[in-house]
Amino acid sequence: MLKVENVKKAFGDVIVLDGVNLTVSPGEVVSILGSSGSGKSTLIRCINGLEKLNDGRITVDDFDVSKPRDLAEARKRSGTVFQLFNLYPHMTALQNITLAPVEVLKRPKAEAEAEGRALLASVGLGDRADAYPSQLSGGQRQRVGICRALAMKPRYLLLDEVTSALDPEMTAEVLAILAKLATDGTTMLFVTHEIEFARQISDRIVFLEKGKLLVDLPAEQFFAPDGGLAQPRVAQFLSKMRKD
Amino acid sequence: MKIDLTILAPYVGFLAEGALLTAEVCAVALVGSVILGMLVAIARTSQLAWVRGLAFAYVDLFRNIPFLVQLFFFYYGLPEIGIYIDAFTTGVIALSISGGAYASDAIRAGILAIDNGIIEAAEVSGLPRRVIFTRIVLPIALRTSVRPLGSVLINMILTSSILSTITLNELTGNARIVTSETFRPFEVYVVLLLVYAALTYLVSIAISLLHRWLNRDMQPEVN
Amino acid sequence: MRYTEFTPFDLWLLTQGLGVTIGLFLATSLLGVLIGVVWGVIRFYRVPVLTQLITFVSEILKNSPVLVQLFLVFFGFPGLLKMNVTPVTAALITLSANTAAFVYVIAVSAIESIGRDQIEAARVFGLTRWQVLRHVIAPQAAAFSIGPLTALLVNQLQVTSLISVIGVMDLAKIGANLNLRTLKPFIVWTAVGILYYLAAKLVAMLGSALEKRLRAHSAFRGL
Ligand SMILES: Nc1ncnc2c1ncn2[C@@H]1O[C@H](COP(=O)(O)OP(=O)(O)OP(=O)(O)O)[C@@H](O)[C@H]1O
Ligand SMILES: [Mg+2]
Repeated sequence: MLKVENVKKAFGDVIVLDGVNLTVSPGEVVSILGSSGSGKSTLIRCINGLEKLNDGRITVDDFDVSKPRDLAEARKRSGTVFQLFNLYPHMTALQNITLAPVEVLKRPKAEAEAEGRALLASVGLGDRADAYPSQLSGGQRQRVGICRALAMKPRYLLLDEVTSALDPEMTAEVLAILAKLATDGTTMLFVTHEIEFARQISDRIVFLEKGKLLVDLPAEQFFAPDGGLAQPRVAQFLSKMRKD
Repeated sequence: MKIDLTILAPYVGFLAEGALLTAEVCAVALVGSVILGMLVAIARTSQLAWVRGLAFAYVDLFRNIPFLVQLFFFYYGLPEIGIYIDAFTTGVIALSISGGAYASDAIRAGILAIDNGIIEAAEVSGLPRRVIFTRIVLPIALRTSVRPLGSVLINMILTSSILSTITLNELTGNARIVTSETFRPFEVYVVLLLVYAALTYLVSIAISLLHRWLNRDMQPEVN
Repeated sequence: MRYTEFTPFDLWLLTQGLGVTIGLFLATSLLGVLIGVVWGVIRFYRVPVLTQLITFVSEILKNSPVLVQLFLVFFGFPGLLKMNVTPVTAALITLSANTAAFVYVIAVSAIESIGRDQIEAARVFGLTRWQVLRHVIAPQAAAFSIGPLTALLVNQLQVTSLISVIGVMDLAKIGANLNLRTLKPFIVWTAVGILYYLAAKLVAMLGSALEKRLRAHSAFRGL
């Protein structure tokens, strides 16, 4: 269980997260929607320990990310895929994937490499294992980014707008992979602007507005007139997103 | 007096020996200063204020005191505290320490230029700080600082001529011996100038090639 | 030498040495900047042959050891030119030329930073090349160069220490003499080092103060 309890986060005077509560159970796919600046990225960065909380608690399978002793274990259980990929530029696709399994999980190198290659093959990059990030297209890079996170066998996959730096064709490639992961039962916390896609793959959709979780509903109810749409802010947001 | 370069012909081998010694001193000192530069660059990112201060003081001091003075400090000073080392070792130590001050700046700039997202990606995957530093930060920083480190090397080659003042018979030292035997200082030193210029030119070409080779996979990213 | 202890007179000697160092530094900096700027202007006018010659000489001067340049002038010139070259003359010639080579590079890049289009635009208004140089390029180039120039001069101040090798009684030479007499290398070279360090800091401070003033000035005029 990934639990976010009453989390508050401010940068200076700016309150970015204002008492957020959220639970993600194993096997669930939860999408986070919200307008720009609502705090989505900050929430993800709090969960993987890149930002310190001002208040509240985040636990990943009971490991508290605010406790230095627990952070390493919490991080082992979650994997992050970034908007701008953040691949290690001096390492091949395969090296990007095997570094953490070998160094953190102490997996034998040969084993990690075999698994890495299998992962790459599963996202259609079987023949690109030895390519460097600069030699890959954006979509290919993001697929490597996903493999790098998956190689740690995380219980929870955190994704922050992983397609927003990609053109539509590459977006489709990456979304197809995420859809497959969802069907396979991967637990995902998924920040996105791809509303239709979120609707298809999510079990639940939450809506963040000015640092507060306004709505937390099963996907279908989120789009129902008496569900999420009953919230004026959600209706506004959805109509604006559909227009764009 | 006419300029006659042929009188140098018998001394070509002797000068080449000097050049070889110059190359040796610089090669060892380059390794020394890059290692020192890395340590100091790390120290300058330390959480401890006094470690940062110490590292900064080292860079500041050794960049603002003439190499000649640093060299004499070691050459005449070390025996006084009972450390007897030869001119070669003294030269290597002095060049490494002074080169290290410049190298640390080059490496530090390389570290600061690394995209923070890359380091965050490493952090969230649970890699310990030491591994992040040795496997990600340093390799990327060294790649981008090849050129500035190359300038450090070129400067070092030129500076190494000063080692002739502590009786090390590197290229300049041997050239001084040749002038005292031939009484043709003009020819000797003109040739010496050109040899140094050619040497540093070759080194700069080698550095460009190395830079291109090391960064062959880090071309500006294309989408 | 009979005395091996320090005497109060040594402080006076050090002060004198510092005076010689600073005096020669100022003189050669002034000459070097003047010559370097003139070279830059010659290049701006694209004077054939002369431009190539200047570029070549500046490359050689930048890429060879100052010590060897000094030896060439001090030991090589007298025989060739049938003239008497004192250590101070040799120091003046060498250091000015060496500074000029680096100033030339700074001047060229300063002029280039201003951009062909601005120069062309001014020419379209009917300004002569000289007027463009004086009224458009010079003020901007000065503001642009002051930073690199300060860094260069801090470095050249340290380079002056090499003239002690040919016998000029500068700070480093006084240090060497004191060292021989007292056999207290740590104290002597530390004192000499501190004096050089303070002088370097002073140059750097003056440079950045001047830069601030020039910046404020050019910002005020909307450049
Ligand atoms: N390091 C920081 N320092 C100061 N303010 C920050 C920092 N990071 C984020 N913020 C601010 O916090 C607020 C929320 O940012 P966040 O990146 O979480 O929004 P977001 O919902 O992810 O937006 P987007 O959809 O544009 O990615 C914004 O107002 C942002 O300016
Ligand atoms: Mg965001």
